[in-house]
Amino acid sequence: MPKRGFQGAVLRSFGAQDHEATVTDTEMLAPGFRRIWFTSATLFDEIEPAPTAWLRFWFPDPDGKDVEHQRAYTISEADVEANTFAVDVVLHEPAGAGTTWAANAQPGMTISLTSMGSSRFELPAELPAELPAGYLLIGDSSSVAALNSIVRTIPAEIPIELYLEQHRDEDKLIPLADHPRLSIHWVPRHGEESFAAAIEARNWSNWYAWANPESASLKHIRNRLRDEFGFPKSEFHQQAYWVHGRSMGKLRSNRDIADDAADYTAETAPAESDPIPTSATDRVSAPAPTNSKNQGAWRAQAGSRLMAPLRRSLIIAGIVQGIVTLIQLAPFFLLVQLARLLLDDAPESQLWRVGWWAVGLLGLGTLLSSALMFWLHTVDARFEQSIRQRLLGKLARLPLGWFDARTSGQVKQLVQDDTLSLHYLVTHAVPDAVAAVVAPVAVLVYLFVVDWRLALLLFIPILVYVLTMSKLVVQSGSKTSHALKWAERMNSEAGGYLEGQPVVRVFGGATASTFRARLGEYITFLNEWQRPFIRQKTIMDLATRPATFLLLIVVFGTLLITTDRMNPVDLLPFLLLGTTFGARLLGIGYGLSGLRAGFLAARRIQVTLDEPELETATATATDTEAASGLVEFENVDFSYRPNVPVLQAISIRLKPGTVTALVGSSGSGKSTLAALLARFHDVDSGRIRIGGRDIRELTAEELYARVGFVFQQTQLVHGTVHDNIALAVPDATRESVENAAREAQIHERILRLPQGYETVLGPDAALSGGERQRLTIARALLADTPVLVLDEATAFADPESEYLVQQALNRLTVGRTVLVIAHRLHTITGVDQIVVLDHGRIAEVGIHEELLLTNGRYRQLWDAGGTVNPTATMTEETR
Amino acid sequence: MIRTLFALLPPDTRSKTTTHLILTVLSAMLRAGTAVALVPLIAALFGQVPKDAWPWVALLVALTVAGWIVDWLVARIGFDLGFGLLDTGQHAVADQISRTRLTWFNAQNTATARQAIASTGPELVGLMIYLVTPLLSAILLPIAIAIALVPIAWQLGLAALAGVPILLGAYVAASRIGRAANQGMMDANSSLTERIVEFARTQHALRAARRVAPEHSLVGEALAHQHGATRRLLLMQIPGQLLFSLASQLVLIILAGTTVVLASSGKLSVPEAIALIVVIVRYLEPFTVLAELSTGVEISIGTLRRMHSVLNAPQTNSGTEEAIITNAASIRLEDVRFGYGGDDLAVLDGFDLTLQPGTTTAIVGPSGSGKSTVLALLAGLHDPGSGRILIDDIDAASLTAEARAKMVSVVFQHPYLFDGTIRENILAGNPDATDPEMKEVARLARVDSVTNRLPDGWDARVGEAGTSLSGGERQRVSIARALLKPAPLLLVDEATSALDTENEIAITAALTDDSRSRTRVIVAHRLGSIRAADRVIFLEDGRIVEDGSIDELLAADCRFAEFWRQQDAATGWRLGTTPVA
Ligand SMILES: Cc1cc2nc3c(=O)[nH]c(=O)nc-3n(C[C@H](O)[C@H](O)[C@H](O)COP(=O)(O)OP(=O)(O)OC[C@H]3O[C@@H](n4cnc5c(N)ncnc54)[C@H](O)[C@@H]3O)c2cc1C
Repeated sequence: MPKRGFQGAVLRSFGAQDHEATVTDTEMLAPGFRRIWFTSATLFDEIEPAPTAWLRFWFPDPDGKDVEHQRAYTISEADVEANTFAVDVVLHEPAGAGTTWAANAQPGMTISLTSMGSSRFELPAELPAELPAGYLLIGDSSSVAALNSIVRTIPAEIPIELYLEQHRDEDKLIPLADHPRLSIHWVPRHGEESFAAAIEARNWSNWYAWANPESASLKHIRNRLRDEFGFPKSEFHQQAYWVHGRSMGKLRSNRDIADDAADYTAETAPAESDPIPTSATDRVSAPAPTNSKNQGAWRAQAGSRLMAPLRRSLIIAGIVQGIVTLIQLAPFFLLVQLARLLLDDAPESQLWRVGWWAVGLLGLGTLLSSALMFWLHTVDARFEQSIRQRLLGKLARLPLGWFDARTSGQVKQLVQDDTLSLHYLVTHAVPDAVAAVVAPVAVLVYLFVVDWRLALLLFIPILVYVLTMSKLVVQSGSKTSHALKWAERMNSEAGGYLEGQPVVRVFGGATASTFRARLGEYITFLNEWQRPFIRQKTIMDLATRPATFLLLIVVFGTLLITTDRMNPVDLLPFLLLGTTFGARLLGIGYGLSGLRAGFLAARRIQVTLDEPELETATATATDTEAASGLVEFENVDFSYRPNVPVLQAISIRLKPGTVTALVGSSGSGKSTLAALLARFHDVDSGRIRIGGRDIRELTAEELYARVGFVFQQTQLVHGTVHDNIALAVPDATRESVENAAREAQIHERILRLPQGYETVLGPDAALSGGERQRLTIARALLADTPVLVLDEATAFADPESEYLVQQALNRLTVGRTVLVIAHRLHTITGVDQIVVLDHGRIAEVGIHEELLLTNGRYRQLWDAGGTVNPTATMTEETR
Repeated sequence: MIRTLFALLPPDTRSKTTTHLILTVLSAMLRAGTAVALVPLIAALFGQVPKDAWPWVALLVALTVAGWIVDWLVARIGFDLGFGLLDTGQHAVADQISRTRLTWFNAQNTATARQAIASTGPELVGLMIYLVTPLLSAILLPIAIAIALVPIAWQLGLAALAGVPILLGAYVAASRIGRAANQGMMDANSSLTERIVEFARTQHALRAARRVAPEHSLVGEALAHQHGATRRLLLMQIPGQLLFSLASQLVLIILAGTTVVLASSGKLSVPEAIALIVVIVRYLEPFTVLAELSTGVEISIGTLRRMHSVLNAPQTNSGTEEAIITNAASIRLEDVRFGYGGDDLAVLDGFDLTLQPGTTTAIVGPSGSGKSTVLALLAGLHDPGSGRILIDDIDAASLTAEARAKMVSVVFQHPYLFDGTIRENILAGNPDATDPEMKEVARLARVDSVTNRLPDGWDARVGEAGTSLSGGERQRVSIARALLKPAPLLLVDEATSALDTENEIAITAALTDDSRSRTRVIVAHRLGSIRAADRVIFLEDGRIVEDGSIDELLAADCRFAEFWRQQDAATGWRLGTTPVA
């Protein structure tokens, strides 16, 4: 076995697994850029290929020495089933061990590799709204494989700026991954600063940056992105993939690179004399002077903005908590003092004094911490109150589409769990974190002052702990993400099993067996994952026990004392405080972890508070001749995400008192179009007018006095039946409420409720779907808006009350301008106007008979059966 | 909770549990030994001849090493027990779920059960080693040290012994107060939060009604109310958070004071007194551990409580009788009473119904009238609160769960398929069926058009919970599954959502073309499936208001006739046409 140097030894000690891979095929993807296919029987047992995942190859020495060189290469393609994968290698000059081997690779050759510590690119798994505004990817030929894998993962609607440093002319021939919103900039290298300078100076707010260039280039890129553009650490991933003039495998840390700077600046000196590239064909802008213009703002930093008003209070609280922590440590100090006095045979009065000090400090500490706690709670209560108020105000002004894009669980998370996390952050997490840090630091300083040799000794167990821990983390590596997947999977399996209980009860046997099998596999997985770590965990536990520290202190203390190198009294602080030092130190991580959850919550809240609101534009024409029921769509374009149009060039006129039906297959945009009229979102261009006025110029008050809507999903508020019907007209008389209810075919049902119209409806009132529909229809009847947006799906949601709902709808539509989303064509054959949508554009407009004759899109839909899987369509389109 | 824990431990690990306990006690004794060995050791170091300390150092080393060994064993066994706990715990929960009364599964309990299966695994593994063991030794160690102190300085020993219940008491009281204060806070918060969530949830309606200004809504009120409530609760929180640290510092001062007094009165030498002060600090250490464990304890108690509530959920009643009926059976519901929640909310009360063998009955009525409840009772999914269900004169309650399940076959509204092939899912109805039998029911249920479409045909996988198939296709597979089961009673709960034509045909075929001799009941929403019935029962508010053949009921021109006409009218409804009075 050839030598692998220190790194190899470290890897081995961390339990890195060696895999054997055999070359199966090679291919030149571009000049000097070679793809090598491998097969490995064991690799995919250990890892799961993910974007940017890379491998450590152990290449033989090109000069035949008995050493192996470790080089990293990215998995560019993989087929887990077939146990094959490929890497794309830059065949550069001067060649190193990696290039030499790759240039000569032939099918049948084998190589060993390890996968330890590989990074992986992951999209944030949260809301689509939480995705970065765009991705700034930076690299060169050696990182093309990694960057390509990222490009392939990014959703089509998100823009990508890909900057590649061009080292050789042929680089531009390297195939790059496709993406609809990708723009590519090749930047020829002119010294180490040219690449950084080429990155466009602009506002990169909410972008995410990933950089894998050459090391010296990276240094400048880092400065530019961090200092000039303001990229926060969490939104900027960086790793140099190679070092100019040096081999990568031997040199790792940045400090070494800096030490060695002379080496390669000399080499690049000629280029350096011409720092501003003149021959660059790509978009290159001179480095902009640092100015605030380019400083972006990131959602990642939103949390601190939310907390800003509390900063002073929290700093004060931290200081007070620090003092309290010190006071709590004081008794130990006093005990040492006491021992000194006893040894000096001090008079009793002095002993008493120490006692009084102890009691006094105890009282003071208690007082201070009560005061601190009370004050923090008060601060928090005020803060929370204001946050809630702002949130409420925000909720009332967000576009209604915002709510459709989120499940009620997500909204609940925001107003309930997140505000609670904030409460913990302010009242507990901050003091806890301060205490967790101050205590061990204070103890450490004290012990070092007393005797630095013994104090140093205390780090031995800590070192054991840290090493074992990191070994464990590395070894459990991919398993940890497996565990997360398993947890998710078991959650859905359990959900299915619970939901399927009736079936399991009746059919038994096979219907339950898959769940059982899965449960068994899960348990096996947990076993296989955790069992190997028992030893390490036990070592970690034993190493940091007070008993272990005591042993060290006593043995070495005795040694020092018996050899007269230490005063026995100096041993006391160690015996009193040193034994728990380990636990205290390790508590820091734990104490700080509370902050994280709080800051994430703060971030989510601030992000919501930053969401754009619906604004009321200043009116251009207040007085209009138009009848209040006239609705006009004028050249309306709309998209949820830039460049993914949902609706294009929509112009329709709804004459007062007529019914217009929107028809189209799912995804045609009909629900979106209807939602625009109720201003769930704002149009991108064009306008929608009601009674001659642009709906953006109407206040919410004015708008909803004109437009009402009845959708499939009903919303009852907590209150009586009367209140629910009279929601829009709070002072409506009972008589008018009853009339509306009668019209909506729900009056009799209401009378059968325990308290009739005074029955309080909770969120899960015992009303059937159809009954709730009719209640909302009664509400709309009472609100009496001239314009109405309607979803035809309401009519068949509940088979038992289908008829009654239909009757109610008949009443509701009389005399109003109605825009209806139609799912079953036979229900709209009698309407005044049918608008057929296809891929977001109007395909046809007309009445049923005409459209049937034209033999167009409508005819197609009609012949296809007239229904477009109504229930599925609904849920999908209202999202 | 401890009982739940022990109940969950696998039975063959009793001896391991005992060993674990004994070793934990031993470990505490060894650690107390090291603490006490400090007394002569430190006394020697502070005495005239520090070298005399070496033998004691040797003893301390020996005790510590012995302690490591014992703790190593404790950890081993603890992990073993943890894995055992995982295995039996998870399976016990899964088993119990299949025997729990379905009425127990409301939203909250379902969530609890789900968590008990899905997210307790890793926790159970560590329960012993990270919680039980440290908790146990944190309590045992101070006691052991206190006892060991008695022969050295009995006053101090006794004081230390007395300190144990005081500190434990303070610990328990503190966490109680903390929990109560937290609960109070939560309660105060929850009504407000509920209002805000509702405010967000009903935003569309509120906007349309122009009621979003906080002052116009309930939420503004709740916000103002909440502010007052919190302030009062603030004061409650504080004692809980201070109590324990106050108590432990006090105990420290008292014990140290006692030592000093003993020293100054000459009962102890000064080096001894100093050594004892060190021992006192060691005596207090475990209590800090206890305080640190409290979050873990809370979480684990939560886990155990969840498992406990699942394991103690009401079980279905079943008898011991094994009866097998293969031909169409007569069914009689006698004076049945049933409710989902409290007894005053009975859905059915004094309900009687007799079904003749081989007939097909449609149950019709407005939503909420109890149709599905009747079906669930017939299926044996719910047990009647009182009254009897007789199948061919056998009381269903006397049957074993297996025999009861053999009596019925059901087409559910939400068909649950398991992750297997189409063939396997159909055969779940009757694993012994021959291939032609299977194919015949599949043809009736129109599954063949599905298998023809799929490249893998009968062996196509349906995916997790059947998600590779469309809703209608899943429904048809479930119809085939039900048809294949040789049960004397076939129950069909028609889906409320609009069916496609194929599915309507499949349902009708299940009721009319199925060649097996059996009694059939369908909860029907559509005319098509009602037509297939010989008899119609019209339910309203849990009572049968009309009963007879379709023609009879139509002739009676009452509730059913109206329903029939409405259904008829609904199918031809067109929007925007003049209302039909
Ligand atoms: C995580 C990670 C993933 C990587 N993935 C890939 C990948 O998929 N494909 C790939 O080709 N490379 C990849 N690299 C880069 C690769 O590991 C280095 O280029 C490595 O130095 C090559 O080793 P070598 O033995 O050929 O040259 P070395 O012995 O390291 O160096 C020899 C000489 O070549 C120069 N040199 C090194 N790399 C380059 C280069 N790319 N262009 C020009 N000159 C160079 C050095 O400065 C040195 O003077 C990756 C690096 C990392 C850290």
